[in-house]
Order: sequence, then structure tokens, then C-alpha cells
Amino acid sequence: MFRLIVEKELRETLGTTKFAVTFAVCAVLILLAFYVGARNYQVGRAEYEAARAENLKQMEGLTDWGRVDHRIFMPPQPLAALVSGVANDIGRTTEVETRGELRSENSRFNEDPMFAVFRFLDLEFLFGVVLSLFAILFAYDAINGEKERGTLRLSFANSIPRDRYILGKLVGAFLALAIPLLIPILIGCVLLPILGVPMDNGAWLRLGLVVLAGYLYLGVFLALSVFISAMTERSATSFLMLLVVWIVAVLIVPRASVLVAGRAVDVPSIDRINFDKSKFETQLWQEDRDKMMDWQEENSREGESGREFFERFQQYTQELGEERNQRISEYTARLNEERRNRESVQQRVALGIARISPTAVFTLATTNLAGTSLSLKHQYQAESATYQKIYSDFIKEKTGRTNSGMVIRLGGEEEEELDPIDPYELPDFSFAGPQTADVTAAALPDLGLLVLFNVVFFAGAFVSFLKYDVR
Amino acid sequence: MELQSPSRALLEADNLTKRYEDGQLALDHVNFAVAAGEIYAMLGGNGAGKTTTINLFLNFIEPTEGEARVDGIVTHRDPLAAKKKLAYVSENVMLYPNFTALQNLDFFARLGGRTDYSKDAYRDVLLRVGLQEEAHGRRLKGFSKGMRQKCGIAIAILKDAPAILLDEPTSGLDPKAAYEFIGLLDSLRGEGKAILMSTHDIFRARDVANTIGIMNQGKLVMQRSKQDLAGEDLEKVYVEYMAGYMDRETETV
Repeated sequence: MFRLIVEKELRETLGTTKFAVTFAVCAVLILLAFYVGARNYQVGRAEYEAARAENLKQMEGLTDWGRVDHRIFMPPQPLAALVSGVANDIGRTTEVETRGELRSENSRFNEDPMFAVFRFLDLEFLFGVVLSLFAILFAYDAINGEKERGTLRLSFANSIPRDRYILGKLVGAFLALAIPLLIPILIGCVLLPILGVPMDNGAWLRLGLVVLAGYLYLGVFLALSVFISAMTERSATSFLMLLVVWIVAVLIVPRASVLVAGRAVDVPSIDRINFDKSKFETQLWQEDRDKMMDWQEENSREGESGREFFERFQQYTQELGEERNQRISEYTARLNEERRNRESVQQRVALGIARISPTAVFTLATTNLAGTSLSLKHQYQAESATYQKIYSDFIKEKTGRTNSGMVIRLGGEEEEELDPIDPYELPDFSFAGPQTADVTAAALPDLGLLVLFNVVFFAGAFVSFLKYDVR
Repeated sequence: MELQSPSRALLEADNLTKRYEDGQLALDHVNFAVAAGEIYAMLGGNGAGKTTTINLFLNFIEPTEGEARVDGIVTHRDPLAAKKKLAYVSENVMLYPNFTALQNLDFFARLGGRTDYSKDAYRDVLLRVGLQEEAHGRRLKGFSKGMRQKCGIAIAILKDAPAILLDEPTSGLDPKAAYEFIGLLDSLRGEGKAILMSTHDIFRARDVANTIGIMNQGKLVMQRSKQDLAGEDLEKVYVEYMAGYMDRETETV
């Protein structure tokens, strides 16, 4: 009986013009998403390699490591080709100095603001927006449509258990959408390595889980559609209700959650933090300048040459600079930590609210799996900061200073004949991106939530249909 | 007002009563029985309770009082078992428009538990109900109401249940098809089916039914065998019963 209902649903769906058109649109969009994503990856990879080479090239001919203008770069993530997440918002270039805060710039959206306006066509968008809408289009009249057509009455004139009927309807509707969609997805998977996206076992596993999350998400909207269809008498009513639910879940809740969290948890702005830092730096500079003046008055010795005096002065300023930088670093770290803590609370509140929407849950699951969630930014920042320490030690080893003091060159000083530096001696920075085990673990709670949404909506559909008037 | 059936009753209404939640009494202590090899025609105006009676036999609604039985099985206690013994044709047969006639027959036959039919068997039944061969492989969305009705009757025949419920089965059929349908009913009776038919068509009811019941405002106001009605003008009887009942109702009020 169950199989018969499933077969009927499949045959009924696959034989319609609506399905043919929908499938064609989905197939084209999915293949386009894979192709455009892979091309973006290629372009991003080429730019990354070129930028690295250019960074080393601009150091050629320099003789002083202290004058090196060094940059590190974030490589494109392979799965960002399919789920862009925040990958396009993060600056890809970071100028590294031996001290101070690291700032990333040249994000994709910074370079191509049009993409920031209209965003990319990726799998997350397709499932999140397009396919969820198609799921509603296919299932909004699953029960009440049969009633309107009179086929529900005729069907239940036979000895059919309602539980098998509703389960058969849902499974049939799901398979009718899921199986055909698998075709363009599989073709897209074949295209990825051909188009130069490196896919190791971990990446394949993560992509598989992204597709699984997509199917779970599709199931949520199908189950919800059947549920609402089993609560209403008219298909026009259920369609309208589902449209409202879709707008709320897809468009409103994720955005509103950020607004609500922003109002609930106050996070000082970057400008405010920069102002406080700047004020503190100015204050320290003022103090150090006074100290330097005092030092000059107290430490002038009779008969001492200017060169000796300046060497001592330079030594003193070096010490002052290191102390000042230490204090600035500590102060900045404290401000940044306070901001990060508040930001973290705000994010937790926003994500907690957003998770009432299956769309937000799906987005969080897929961006986690693709390694393009907010943690990508945090991980890149953390690895950059670690690299900064390595770089600082390297420069100190090469120059004997950390660029924190004031280096004064005296006129008439004989320039030493120095050998050019070898840029390839620089410690290498290679950002591998999030690891499969980590991203999978991070995505599991959201995958579980998607399963829960399916169960809850199916239970709702089941209970509603048990009481449904089939006449 | 109960009639004694000569053979085993397959369809029985025993004090069958239905009062809806809004207080409306749709069916008021109705009693009748339809034996194997009998056709029972329920006559009555719109809202008389004919379709409610059929809905109670199909357990689409539960009785407030009394019970409907199919081959001794109380429908609201064991609806799945009862429905195995029932076939049903609605007033306005609506099947799956994107399926062909053969596909619709195949689906509903299997839904009715019959998995042993070949495509030829479906074709034979469709021909038997008068659907031309060229229409068998066509999608139903292009079918007229009469053609769909024939498919619905074919589905009921394929189920091969001992009891058949027909809700205005000749509605939408042209006179020739309606005439052929009466012949079909006669042959089903010959196969021993118990047939309960609601209809507005007094003349066809008189032609084919073994027993005729007249319903008005939820009550079975008259129930007579074909022999009892022999020589009487059924139309006149119908009008008199309806009018008389209404007069009594008015007096009561």
C-alpha cells in the first residue's frame, strides 16, 4: 500500500508540465552554480598565487629586513565555490608588521561591490531560496488538493490506513523532487575536479553533507507543506499560508535576529575602539616625548661626540618604544577582547533567535560544512596573529630590533655596503582553512535541528490528517 | 418500516442517526437492509440524507447513534475491514487528470487490493462500461463528465466487492449511457452484488431497483418493494410522500 502511494505520487508529479519546467530551471541553476563557483575558485586561486609571487618580488633588491613590506594572503576555500558564506566578506590580504594589529583588506565584495548587492548564485542560495519555494509549489495541495479533486474520497473508500497514506504522500513527493535533483548535482560534482577545484576525501565528505543538509531542508518544507495542507480545506488557503511562512522563515527571521541581537547586546563599534586606542597612543607618546626631553637634559656629557650621544639616545628610545608598544598592545588586546566577548554574546543571541527558522539552520549547517562560516574569519585572524609572532621573531633575528624603536640615521654616517635580502627566507604562511573533523562537528547540531524540523512537521501532518475530513 | 430480505443482508442501516456538531439532524433513525443480489434505490431531494447515509457506510463520518454494517461488520468499529467489502462510485467522479484511464484503473484497483489484473482486464471492463477503446490510453484531463463516470464505475467493478454504493451514478451520463448503465447494474445484481444507490431519477429507480426508499429531511419516510409499487405511479407516490411528510412536519411545528 505504502509503495503504491509512493509510486502514484512519483508518477503524478513526474508527468506534469510543472515538474518538467521546475526540473529544467533547477538543473540549469545547479549546474550554473557549480560552474560559476568553480570558475570563481580558479580566478581566486590564480589571484592568490600571483599576489604571493608579487609580494616576494617587491622585496627583491632590498638590503634591510626592517624595510620589508610583507603581506600574507588567504587562499580561496574549495567549497566556497558552492557555499560562499562569509568567504567573500573577509579581506584576503593582510599586511604583516612585527607589532600592532593586523588588518585584512581586499575582500571580494570590496573589489566587486555588485556581488555584495546581489550576492552569488551558489548551492546554499539555490536550496535556501529556490528549492524551498519549489517544495511548497509541489506539496501545498498534497491533501486538500486531493480533496478538491475528489480523489481523496475515492481513495478512502478503500481499505487504506491513514498513516501509510500520509507517509506515502510525503515520501513520494520527496523522492519526486530529490531524485531528479541528484542528476545535476552529480554532474556538477564531476565538473568540480575537471574545472580545477581540488577535492580531497574530506572535501567530498563535506560536499556530501552539504547535499544531505539540502535534502533535509527540502524535506522540512515538504513536510511543512503537507502539514498545512492537512490543516486546511482549500489549496488556495494553504498556498497563501505557506507563502507567508516561507517569507518569514527565509527572508525575515534571519535578518530580524541580527537586528534584535544588535538591540539586545551592545557591542562597541570599531570606530569607538579605534578612537580609544588612538587616544591612549597619543597619551603615551606625549609621556614618552617628555621622558625623551628629560633624558636629553639629564644625560648630556661633556666631551661626548654627537654620534655616541645619539647611539645612547637611540638605545633609550628603543627601550621606551618597546615599553610603549607593550602597553599599547596590552591595552588594545584588552579592548579587542572586550569587544570580541560582547560580539560573541551578540552572535550567540542572533544565532539562537535565527535558529527558529529552518533556513537559518540550513545556512549555518552548510557554511560550517563548507568552511565559510564566521569561524573562517576567526581562524584566519588567529593564524595570522600566530604568524605575526613568528614573523616578528624572524625580523628581530635578522635586524636585532623589532621596528618598535625610533631609528635615527645621522647625516654623514657612512653607509655600510649590505647584501640584498633573500625573500624566500621569510617564514611561510599557508592557511589550510578549517579541518573536516572540526567543521563536521560544528555542523552536526544544525543537521540535527533540520532532522528535528522534519520530525515535528511530519508529526503535525500525521496528527492533522488522522482527524482530516476526507469527504 | 423494515423489510425482510430473502437472502443474507450485506448492507444494513440500524437506527442510523447522524447529528452534526452544529445541532443539525442529518439522519434520523434510519433502518434498511440490502441483500446480496438486490438493488436498493434511495430517492429524495437535496439534503434529504442520501449522501450522509453513504458517508456513514464509508465511515467518512461516524454515527451519533445506531450503526451501519457491511456484511455484519460495523463500519465505525472496523472501517478497514468494512471497506474491503465495499465499492463506491461518487456523483462526480474525479480521478487523476494526468493519468490515463488505464493508469487510473490500475491505481485504484491496486488500492482496492486487486493486484491480479492485466491490462487486458482493464480494457475489458472499460469496454463493458461503454468507454471506447481509443480513450483508454488518453489522459483524463480531456474526458467529459460522462467518460469519467464510466471510469468510476469501471473502478467499482474491478474491486469486485460484494457491496456497491452508488451516489447519483447516472448524473452526467447521456440517456444512452444511462440506459446502458442500468443494464450494467442489472448484470451486477445477477452476480450477487448488494447495491445501494442514491438517485433523483425516479424512473430508472423504478426500472432497476428491488426496493425503493424515499428520504426526506433525514428520515426514511417510505420503503416499498418493487412488487408493492407495481401498477402505481411512483412519481405521484414520491410527490405525495414528500408533500405529506412536509405537511406533518408543518403541523408539528
